[in-house]
Amino acid sequence: MDVLQYAWLIPVFPFIAFILIALIPKRTLGWEDGWGYAIAGAGGALVLSFLVIWEVLNGHTLTEDAPRTTWLIIGDYQVTFGIWIDQLAALMLLVVSIVGTLVVVYSGGYMHEEGETRRRYYAEIMLFISVMYGLVIADNYLQMFIFWELVGLCSYLLIGFWYQKPSAASAAKRAFIVTRVGDIMFMAGIILLFKYVGNLDFAVLFDINSGAPGAPTVPSDILILSTALIFGGAIGKSAQFPLHEWLPDAMEGPTTVSALIHAATMVKAGVYLTARTYPLLVQTPESLLFVAVIGGVTALIAASCALAANDIKRVLAYSTISQLGYMILGLGAGGYLVYHLQDPNGYTAATFHMMNHAFFKALLFLCAGSVIHAVGTNDMRLMGGLRKHMKITSTTMLIGALAIAGVPPLSGFWSKDEVLAAVYHAGDLDPTFLLLWVLGIVTAFMTAFYMFRMWFMTFAGEARSTYHAHESPKIMTIPLIILAGLAITSGFALLAGDGFKAFMEVPIEEHVIAGHESTIDIAVEIFTDPLTYVSLVLAIVGILLAYRMYYMPGFDRSVFGRGTAGTLQRALENRWYISRFYDDFAYKVWYGFSLVCDAFDRRVIDGAVNGFSYLGANTGGVIRKAQSGNVQRYASLIIVGIVILLALLLFVVPWGGW
Amino acid sequence: MIPIEYWLILSSLLLVVGIYGVMTRKNAIVVLMSIEIMLNAANINLVAFSSYYSSLHPALGTDATGQAFALFSIAIAAAEVAVGLAILLSVYRRYQTIDVDKINILRW
Repeated sequence: MDVLQYAWLIPVFPFIAFILIALIPKRTLGWEDGWGYAIAGAGGALVLSFLVIWEVLNGHTLTEDAPRTTWLIIGDYQVTFGIWIDQLAALMLLVVSIVGTLVVVYSGGYMHEEGETRRRYYAEIMLFISVMYGLVIADNYLQMFIFWELVGLCSYLLIGFWYQKPSAASAAKRAFIVTRVGDIMFMAGIILLFKYVGNLDFAVLFDINSGAPGAPTVPSDILILSTALIFGGAIGKSAQFPLHEWLPDAMEGPTTVSALIHAATMVKAGVYLTARTYPLLVQTPESLLFVAVIGGVTALIAASCALAANDIKRVLAYSTISQLGYMILGLGAGGYLVYHLQDPNGYTAATFHMMNHAFFKALLFLCAGSVIHAVGTNDMRLMGGLRKHMKITSTTMLIGALAIAGVPPLSGFWSKDEVLAAVYHAGDLDPTFLLLWVLGIVTAFMTAFYMFRMWFMTFAGEARSTYHAHESPKIMTIPLIILAGLAITSGFALLAGDGFKAFMEVPIEEHVIAGHESTIDIAVEIFTDPLTYVSLVLAIVGILLAYRMYYMPGFDRSVFGRGTAGTLQRALENRWYISRFYDDFAYKVWYGFSLVCDAFDRRVIDGAVNGFSYLGANTGGVIRKAQSGNVQRYASLIIVGIVILLALLLFVVPWGGW
Repeated sequence: MIPIEYWLILSSLLLVVGIYGVMTRKNAIVVLMSIEIMLNAANINLVAFSSYYSSLHPALGTDATGQAFALFSIAIAAAEVAVGLAILLSVYRRYQTIDVDKINILRW
């Protein structure tokens, strides 16, 4: 039995769980209002995902000859649903299945006190995981777009889970509307491709301009525009600059939801889309440069915003944006390398970072959830000293922080280093990448600093408020330990077996490029490259700086209130005023424009419509008076009419007869 | 034989009498009677023209089409009067009046 043929069942498991949790009677919900069903749905998908991943690891993929089912027939074009399982999809399946399942398990402890609303929570989480699987295995852009929108819907529902809080409701709306800007660009991109190719299947689109017989051709400027627009979808979904402001606000949802959004589902969809579009992207270096610049700028801006944030979840949110920027930067630079040198290192580095980031970011978020669960606040200024009360949480979070900071041998070190190396190599082709590399290095330094600032503020020192902290129950700490293990070890995928680079083939039709270096060469290359030590030293300096400023006594933090440092501090606390700019823009410019539109709609368009209806109604009101009900008047009128007709016939009409 | 003009004058007079009755009388039964008078004015015309046509074309013999038509018309008028009176009866039962000025519910 070929497991890959049944990969379409993966999203079905969580979907069935969603239906059951949403619809069955309350007394049959079992543990924790549906938790049991959620575990079963996520677990079923996990098992099947692992079987699929095992097949892919053994070199089997299922792409162009995968089973398809026809959904709609429009003229000559058939809209089909199918599956597309290659290495990239398998990698995403790995991430979504592990993180999704662990988050569901963890929710059993974290959401314990929520009461009956847990039913809604578990139903929405199941739908979220299900549609993310659907997005990952989609074999055409339309199917992908449908699941893409469903992912957006689910994140809207979950960010606004505590919808009674106005801030949560508005954060949910903001997430939905801001990502919608990207979605529209994505839609425009695929419509453009459809106009020129007449098909949206990956099997057809990825042959564009390949020269193979029957392959569609698209003018290069159109291809540049469409790939840039499709990447626009990723800008919205993956919270890249300038559409990144929704993600920190999305922290209003439960922390488990944040972990899921940041590690596995929502924001990874954008990176996945960019990687998925690679066969088209690598034909358009202009779009790739755009991708890389967006990624690099995002990484730096988000990391700088994280420096001054006091909300533990916001620090993590900005760190996610920053790491997503790394991935996007790696994909852009990697595409450049593929385009010019047939060098797959950038692509493998970015996808590798996507996997590692999923594990350590899920770990960090779930640790933060554990802390918030214990202390009851998000504000790090009110924490401190938690290390004594929460040994497991503080240790696992330290592992996560070391991983994201890039300390060897934890996972973040390997992939971040690979990304930066790829960007540096792309610098030989276009000097812009050297600038982006500098941004990336500075970001690496900032990352180390703010992660340890967060860790020291939370766990070290003395308690700065009264709380009754306690270690979280086992149901929450066990997922933390598993994820900590993954955060330590997932980086070794680069060196294990044939190595990650050999596994992660760049999906380009005519010559599938895979890394041919041996894993020993890769390791030697990493440790003999001086750039590795640059980023490593910067990371350690960042950690030490955080140690000096937030752990050792005697550092006067009041310098941040004065002069240039104070101005910078305020700018960072206000997120470079980007959020305020959007608010001002929305309130003043857009609201004013809306008022004009509203007035035009009410006065002119409604006025015309209402005018016609008043005219009709009033005319009718006058004419109906003739219908008096008096039969004698009717008779009189008939007779008068006949007399007039006769008179006309006799005296006026020339053919009147007489 | 009486000239056609006399018949036409008679029928015109009857028609005008009927119209006058329909337009001025309040009692619905009288209105109905006036309608019958107008109808019979038309019947007289039918018979008169039929007979006049025969006198113009003696070779064709006596043509009875107009007379037959008039008989039909009288029969139908009888049925119509029956219906009309039945309506008036039920109107009277409901409103206790057959004054046509008062019966004006079929209106705006």
